[in-house]
Amino acid sequence: MSLNDWLRERLGLEALDHVIEKKRVPVHRHTFWYYWGGMTLFLFGVQVATGILLVLYYRPSADEAYESVRFLMTQVSFGWLIRSIHSWSANLLVGAAMIHMFSAFMLKAYRRPREVTWLTGMALFVLCLAFGFSGYLLPWNQLAFFATKVGTDIMGSVPLVGPFLARLLRGGDQITGGTLTRFFGFHVAILPLCMTALLGIHLFLVQWHGMSVPPGVEQPGAALKKEMKFVPDFLLRDLVGWLAALGALALLAALFPWELGQKADPYAFAPAGIKPEWYFGYMFQTLRMIPARVLGIEGEKLGIVGFGLAGLVWALAPFLDASDGRGARARFWSVVGALAIVYVIVFTLLAYRGGRS
Amino acid sequence: MRATLRFTLLAGLLLLGAPAARAAKDSCVDCHRGLDAPRLKAPAVGFAHDIHAERGLTCAACHGGDPADPEPSAMDPDKGFKGAPGRAEIAGLCASCHANVAFMKLYNPRPYVFSVAEWQTSVHAKLAAQGDLKVATCTDCHGVHGIRPPTDPAAPVFKTNVPRTCAKCHNADYMKDHAIRTDQFALYAKSAHGVALLEEGDASAPACNDCHGNHGAAPPGLKDVAMVCGTCHGREAELFEGSRMKAGLDALGKPGCVTCHGNHGVQHPTDAMLSAAPGGTCAGCHQPGSAAAQGTDAIVSGFQGLQNSVTHADSLLQVAEVRGMETGPGREGLKVAQDALVGVRAGLHSFDPKQIGAVLAEGAASSRKATDCGREALRDWRNRRLGMVLSLVVILILIGLVVAKIRQIEK
Repeated sequence: MSLNDWLRERLGLEALDHVIEKKRVPVHRHTFWYYWGGMTLFLFGVQVATGILLVLYYRPSADEAYESVRFLMTQVSFGWLIRSIHSWSANLLVGAAMIHMFSAFMLKAYRRPREVTWLTGMALFVLCLAFGFSGYLLPWNQLAFFATKVGTDIMGSVPLVGPFLARLLRGGDQITGGTLTRFFGFHVAILPLCMTALLGIHLFLVQWHGMSVPPGVEQPGAALKKEMKFVPDFLLRDLVGWLAALGALALLAALFPWELGQKADPYAFAPAGIKPEWYFGYMFQTLRMIPARVLGIEGEKLGIVGFGLAGLVWALAPFLDASDGRGARARFWSVVGALAIVYVIVFTLLAYRGGRS
Repeated sequence: MRATLRFTLLAGLLLLGAPAARAAKDSCVDCHRGLDAPRLKAPAVGFAHDIHAERGLTCAACHGGDPADPEPSAMDPDKGFKGAPGRAEIAGLCASCHANVAFMKLYNPRPYVFSVAEWQTSVHAKLAAQGDLKVATCTDCHGVHGIRPPTDPAAPVFKTNVPRTCAKCHNADYMKDHAIRTDQFALYAKSAHGVALLEEGDASAPACNDCHGNHGAAPPGLKDVAMVCGTCHGREAELFEGSRMKAGLDALGKPGCVTCHGNHGVQHPTDAMLSAAPGGTCAGCHQPGSAAAQGTDAIVSGFQGLQNSVTHADSLLQVAEVRGMETGPGREGLKVAQDALVGVRAGLHSFDPKQIGAVLAEGAASSRKATDCGREALRDWRNRRLGMVLSLVVILILIGLVVAKIRQIEK
């Protein structure tokens, strides 16, 4: 008995063969957007791999965090590369996740029976943002310290639960070494656990329901005219994208190595022009533009409640939009999606018109 | 015993009577405010903003009389009216409260208590005792009927106002009858200290009273100069104290510090000062070519070498930083080298080539470390570029192979 046969008998690989053989990807004018889910997954894999390497050197305390990252960047072979790739890949990951989410929205991939796939995708996107927010503080540098202070201050403005949420995140009233340890715990234990569970459900549902075909392409009652096999046709095309992403990461890491800056000093003045990471930019800019008081309500609170409601509506889109993706209601939701994309792009650019933070 | 009783009565009168007097009508202020003669009106107007008025004291506290009496009889000597004190009496009048610890503690648990003994050591007090009434007394510096605490920027004795307050008397016109120099303010205003205090508002820079004292103001004696400078320049004074130079200057009867740096016109020391050539400070005593001159030249060349090395390391690190490289350890080394540059300037006051050489050597080692770090960072940067190009080539080849495979499958 060969090793292959031995494994097939024990692991039930025939079933996997069956799935691989049967899995097809629709081919039409919007097929390009199917690649972004795989791209997001690939970048997440890069994050896991580089993150594990970083943990080998990182020490999560206020006294040692900055020094350990500096040691990694200056003394460890390719330490700078691993950290730069981790940081750049995090940004590309959020970007890919955004493209994946907006394309799924615009192509109405959330239609019945894929509502739960959409909801898990939304939850995964929120987890990506949480990964970014918690990871940003870990080098314990000046910019990260004050950006986290601003970020948790904003969270503290959430009505009713804000002060509790801010204390929960900070582990006290201020950003301290305790906050750093806590953020490290979120970043390497709690969030990965949630991510793994949700990602498993999301991928299972994608496999279970197959790829969604946009309403404009779908012919009710008729089979799709053109498909390609997932393995190897689609997977090889995915691979081209992943290799291109890897090349982009190598380019970014070598040309723009991620800065470490100055060690966090709680007693120093906040650096000028603190801005959050770009993917929080549109929210930051919106809160900045809202007047201090609107109709007697505190502007920042109003903005946060607005974002909460907008996020809820966005998540519930599958239940609010027309289930067949056609008609006036469907067109209305397409306009909502387009406006959301324009809003995010414009406000992100507005937040960063003064240069990189 | 009688003095204690008198103080108790005075304090009781002031504390109990003052708020009532403030609340009730104060005939002194009411009348003087309405007078036309500026000399008589100004005290009442100015006193409204006086620290004493703010603490509840009235005119009667200094001038006596009865502020409750609305008639001119308020100024009856029988009611304790003393009128305006003469210049010779002012210090004693102020001291009657300000030199009294128990009384001053009524207003501040940790009060400044005026020392009559200290005042008597001042040149001002000594000349006053000899009948020279042109010398400064309390009101000349602190003002009168509008006195502000020294912490108030409007006070003439606020840190940045002190030099101009002293110069009100210490000028050629006022001092024409006294055989003393009057160029102090002009020199000070252009000195390193004066520019820092008067132009840059740096309150850590010394004003006149920081070197001369205030209530005991006097020129420091020859032997005291280094002590005076050493209150701020502690390290330099400490090194100078144990140096051969101090012994030499003492033997010549020359003051420390001032002989090389000057006093009121002291300037930021420059490297050019360290020379026995004409124009150099050392040339004042040492001949060009002398052993001292040769020692000075060796030290100067040593720390100019360190300075060049620090500048070179800094520019290397800057180039590396602009290219996004991490230079933390290099910056730390550079900081030590820069500290050594400062340290060697302080160390010059030991006039000990061995001690100075040790500081220079430490700085040079740190500067080399910073330079090495900068070079290493730039070498690393070049290697990264090369690595990036190689990895991109590999990735492009892989992409080409995958695309070829896709085409093969499609066929």
